Amino acid sequence: MTAAFRKTRLLTQTALLFALAVVLSLVEGLLPALPVPGVRLGLSNIPVMYALFFLGKGPAASIAGLKGAFAALTRGAAAGLLSVSGGLCSVGAMALLLWLSKKRASCFLLSICGAVCHNLGQLAAVSLLYETFGFQFYLPVLLAAGIAAGAVTAVLLRVLQPAFARLEGGKRS
Amino acid sequence: LRFIRKTDFIAVAAILLAAGVLLLFRLRDSSPPAAAEIYLNGELIKTVPLHTGEERSFSLPEREKVVFHLYPDGAIAFESSDCPDKVCVHTGRLRRAGQTAACLPNGLLLKIAGGADGPDAVL
Repeated sequence: MTAAFRKTRLLTQTALLFALAVVLSLVEGLLPALPVPGVRLGLSNIPVMYALFFLGKGPAASIAGLKGAFAALTRGAAAGLLSVSGGLCSVGAMALLLWLSKKRASCFLLSICGAVCHNLGQLAAVSLLYETFGFQFYLPVLLAAGIAAGAVTAVLLRVLQPAFARLEGGKRS
Repeated sequence: LRFIRKTDFIAVAAILLAAGVLLLFRLRDSSPPAAAEIYLNGELIKTVPLHTGEERSFSLPEREKVVFHLYPDGAIAFESSDCPDKVCVHTGRLRRAGQTAACLPNGLLLKIAGGADGPDAVL
């Protein structure tokens, strides 16, 4: 395998995962709204997590950034900012945890950490956008919601992993 | 990459504990709210006295398509809105100090005044 081939493959894999993230966030929009406002399942985090675990920090961060750009284009600048802040916080926290644990942290813990930090990042962005937002009230709700969403996405990633591996044209354990 | 470890539950319990402590802290110092504030793009445009005992719907001249509803028990909610996602309406009734409902597409924020105010050190 030449270096050029590997680079091209990484590019196409990242692009496919980004496309998947966009589709999953649309699919999530079709699901009935959860009773708690602002709480989402974060299905589009699944490809981001896959990218982080198997392709590296760079591709994962670029998918998060592109997701934000997509949200900005389709839903406006505020939505884009929220998406980017949540996504990058999430990737950053997961990458940090991976590095701190010397890659020994479990998928489950990483997913929960990512989801909780996604919520924290968004909350920080919301309170920057709307200075009056009473975010102290919302913090506990978002922490608990992050745990639930993280657990669900971890299980989904586990289940979907073979399908993801096919997308790559190779086998991944 | 392992899927799950036993020690993960310690981390989960720690986060839940933090959430619980924060929630207790919040619930304890929530004084009875007197008024709701409506912000447009971060600016206070209207203060609505709660606990007047009346029930009514109203909207603001700045955003006529967004209807608020005041309940006789002093709760307030977004009744309807022209935004696509209706997060504001799904938020439901607000009654405790510090509670908020936001309609981001319209730039509207509904907030119950009182309690510990303003973003103080959390992050």
